[in-house]
Amino acid sequence: MLYINCPHCGMRSQNEFSYGGDASIKRPELNKEISDNEWNDFVYNRKSLRGKHLELWQHISGCRQWIKVERDTATHEIFRTFKADEEVAS
Amino acid sequence: MSSISSLANVHSSGKYGDYEGKNEKELLKISERKNLLIVQIVQYKNSNILCESIDLDGLKLKNEPSNVIYNDDTRILWNGPKNWFLVSKKKDLIKSILKNFKESDFAITDLSHSRAIIEIEGQNTKEILKKGCPFNFNILKKNQSINSVFNGIAFTIDMFDDNPDKVRLFTLRSFGESLYHSITDASLEFGYISI
Repeated sequence: MLYINCPHCGMRSQNEFSYGGDASIKRPELNKEISDNEWNDFVYNRKSLRGKHLELWQHISGCRQWIKVERDTATHEIFRTFKADEEVAS
Repeated sequence: MSSISSLANVHSSGKYGDYEGKNEKELLKISERKNLLIVQIVQYKNSNILCESIDLDGLKLKNEPSNVIYNDDTRILWNGPKNWFLVSKKKDLIKSILKNFKESDFAITDLSHSRAIIEIEGQNTKEILKKGCPFNFNILKKNQSINSVFNGIAFTIDMFDDNPDKVRLFTLRSFGESLYHSITDASLEFGYISI
């Protein structure tokens, strides 16, 4: 069983969490003119990395907060977790 | 208007499971708690009010994970950051809550009608919970609470006492019968008294 250390609640089972996608994607600035390709990249295109990956998860059956999780997509090892508003130094 | 309890159709008193030849004190006791005031208190993200400055039945809200703030009548469970779950025997406490918590800073929701509450007491209480919930119950202490899942049903556990273990389980009213079935099924092995 995979365990995720929720920054709010502590170590909890993955069963309590819901996956929320890539956490490194930033929305284009509001009112900024952007091309269709840039918008396409933001909405659809993902890197599908093998290795360390910063992800969003929601502690849906716990504190219901969104968190960031640094996970290895090949081994599922979880390195660090952060609150959603925390900046992550790579 | 009379209210019908959420477990009225499934909860009936008696002894069940492997209870024969066992001392009554060893058996689990399962009961339904009714007529409690349940209120969700959520402080808005842009609110600057110190929650510790508000008095609620002599209790002060604290943003401490898992901790239950309590007195004889009222228990306030930490439900998440700036999110609390108040359970009280005092039904009229809602008036003072609505008066003390400003609408511009807090969302107050009366959930009294929408939760099923199961109380389990006995030395095997944690063994029952371990059967369906992935939480490490060895670290759950008296007057702590957690949110988790039991056989896929989202629920809240309030650890009331630890000698013997006594917990209150809260779930959505519509999930109540399913959770009750799961809990009593898990309890058959030890034998239980339904009160």
